Amino acid sequence: MADDPAIRADMEGTVPMMPWWAGGLGIGLILLIAVALVQPIGVSTQYVVLDGVLLHAIFPDRVDESPYLKHASKGWTLATYEFLFVAGIPLGAFIAAAATRRLTGRVVPALWAQRFGPAPARRLGWSFVGGFLLLFGARFGGGCTSGHMISGVSQLAVSSFVFSTALFASAILTARWLYPERAER
Amino acid sequence: MTLLLGLFLGAVFGAILQLAGASSYTKIIGTLRLRDFTIMKLIMTAIGVGLIGVHVLDAVGVAHMKVKDLYLPGIVIAGLIFGVGFAVTGYCPGTALAAAAEGKPDAWMTIVGGLCGALTFAFLWPDLESSLASLGEFGPITLHGSFGINGLLIALPLGVLCLWGAVKLPGVRAT
Repeated sequence: MADDPAIRADMEGTVPMMPWWAGGLGIGLILLIAVALVQPIGVSTQYVVLDGVLLHAIFPDRVDESPYLKHASKGWTLATYEFLFVAGIPLGAFIAAAATRRLTGRVVPALWAQRFGPAPARRLGWSFVGGFLLLFGARFGGGCTSGHMISGVSQLAVSSFVFSTALFASAILTARWLYPERAER
Repeated sequence: MTLLLGLFLGAVFGAILQLAGASSYTKIIGTLRLRDFTIMKLIMTAIGVGLIGVHVLDAVGVAHMKVKDLYLPGIVIAGLIFGVGFAVTGYCPGTALAAAAEGKPDAWMTIVGGLCGALTFAFLWPDLESSLASLGEFGPITLHGSFGINGLLIALPLGVLCLWGAVKLPGVRAT
């Protein structure tokens, strides 16, 4: 299996350039700087903000009907600290991947291809469905991995402990169902 | 100035996610299959540093806290839904942005799906707010607040425990 060049190439991309402790320390410090200067970090709200701003540009009347959108995208602008933080993520990731020559065009992850076949449409379709559930859940719960797990647990927020526990329980069970253990042997 | 700070902090965050392997489908699925604990070690380190640091900042009075509301059945259901999406895509809302910037089209689809999911939620919220999210409301409660003690008393031991666990967990489990 490891002789398959496609799989080896993908696995190469997954050997982290940065050790876990440096990454964890770095993310912890970003959280501390953010908490000291502005507010805890968070990502998922900005999906709603982008939705609101885009929709406001196309159907201004319709958007005014949603109190949730109106509340999230205050003033229908993207020029906020919160949005720029989120916009910085792809910027930084692009620079990091380019600097370490790890920009890629792979469509189907090798692990997925081994289990579900190499068809791009299947992977892309399920990515859409998964993304839908991800943000629906994050907005319903009031946060995602950054907002709840890192910022929330650090503040000892009870809602964040509950959300993180439910998240991991469901994600581990789903992963186990998608990749049954016996398939390996 | 604050805007630039946001962009800068976000860019460093994105670069770390990318370099540390958090934007890799293989790494995340390895974590959820309990085979590769690298990302778990990373998260536990971040939370350990965060727990201790945030409560030290709070003790000196410079922390800007923002605690999320607890509404019991709602938060559990939300976490369960999020978990399924996490295992299917192998990305979370933040790492999908990093992975998309690396050129991974499945991460692009995750973002498009996410924008649709967030929009659907925004229009369902008035109904959800008056039904599910109004059950078991506790407001923005914290562990130390409900015991009525200083946050550091819990954050310090728990933070040390997270850091200790991060060191002790094996990296990649032999199969």
